[in-house]
Amino acid sequence: MDKERTLIKRAQKGDHDAFAALVDEHQRYVYNLALRVVKDENEALDLTQDTFVRAWMALPNFRGKSQFRTWLYRITTNLCYNRLSNLRRSLNDLGDDVLQDIPETNFNNPVQEFESNENRRHLHQAIAGLDEKYRLLITLRYQNELSYEEIASTLNLPLGTVKTGIFRAKKQLRRKLIQLEDSWITA
Amino acid sequence: MDNRLKQDAQIEDALKTYPLAEMPRSVTGDVMARIQNSTRPRLITWNDLVLSFGLSLSISAVYFAVQTLPPVMLAKLRIQGILLYQDFLVNARWLLPSLLFGAAAFLSALTIPSLIQMLKVRRTT
Repeated sequence: MDKERTLIKRAQKGDHDAFAALVDEHQRYVYNLALRVVKDENEALDLTQDTFVRAWMALPNFRGKSQFRTWLYRITTNLCYNRLSNLRRSLNDLGDDVLQDIPETNFNNPVQEFESNENRRHLHQAIAGLDEKYRLLITLRYQNELSYEEIASTLNLPLGTVKTGIFRAKKQLRRKLIQLEDSWITA
Repeated sequence: MDNRLKQDAQIEDALKTYPLAEMPRSVTGDVMARIQNSTRPRLITWNDLVLSFGLSLSISAVYFAVQTLPPVMLAKLRIQGILLYQDFLVNARWLLPSLLFGAAAFLSALTIPSLIQMLKVRRTT
C-alpha cells in the first residue's frame, strides 16, 4: 500500500515510470470490469486505455480520499455510462427495497455440498448472461472485491440500490439453477 | 442444509470462482504513448494569463491617461459625459440597461464552453 502511495505521488509529479507501474498493477481489473459490462474484447481494451489516460490527466486532483483502485473503477464505469446510455438509468431504476445485509453463505464441505462442476459451469454461463447492470455490480463485488459501501461510492448510487441490485442478480441466478435442476429431474 | 441454502451456497461459490478475464495484451505501452503526447490541463492556462495581463494593462492605461490629461480637457470630457448620459436618459432610456444586459449575457456565454469541458471531466473522474 505504501509502495502504491509512493508511486501515486511520483506519478502526480509527472513521473511516467511510476504511472506505468500503476497501469501494470491495475490494468487487468480495469479491463475485466470493462469487458464484463461491454462484452467486447476490443472495446474493453479501448475503455481500459481511456481509463488510464483520463486517470493520468486527473491524477493531480486525486487526493487519496478513496482508494486508487476504486477511483479507477469510477472512471471506468463513467466511461461505460458514456458508451451504454441506458446503463446509468437502469441502475437508478433498481430502487432500494433491500436494506439489510445480504448473507454470504459458505460451504463447510465443498466436496460434499457442491455436487458437480456442471452446476458451477452453468452458473458461470448464467452470470455472463445477466443484464449489464447486474454484471457491473457482480464484477465490482466479487471480482474487484469492493464492499457494498465502496460500490455505492464508485457508482454514486445509494447503498440500498447496490444491495437491491446484487440481491436481484442472485435471484436471477437462483432461477437459472432451479431450471437446471428441474431439467435433470425431467431428463 | 435445506435446498434453498444449498442453492445460495452454490451461487455464492460460482460468483467467487467466476474467473477474471485474461487480457489479450498489455495496454501499458499504448497508454504511455498516449500520455507522452498529451499535456495535463493546468489550473491557469496561457489564455487566462494573457487575458488578465491585457485587462490590467488597459485599466492602468486608462488610469494614467486620466492622471496626465490637462485639467481643462478633463473637465470638458466630464461635461460631455454628463451630457451624453442625460441624452441617453431622455432619448434612449432602454439603451443603457440593454447594453449592460447584453454585456453580461455575452460574458456569461463565454464561460459556457469551459463549463461544458469541466462537466465532461467531472463526469468521467
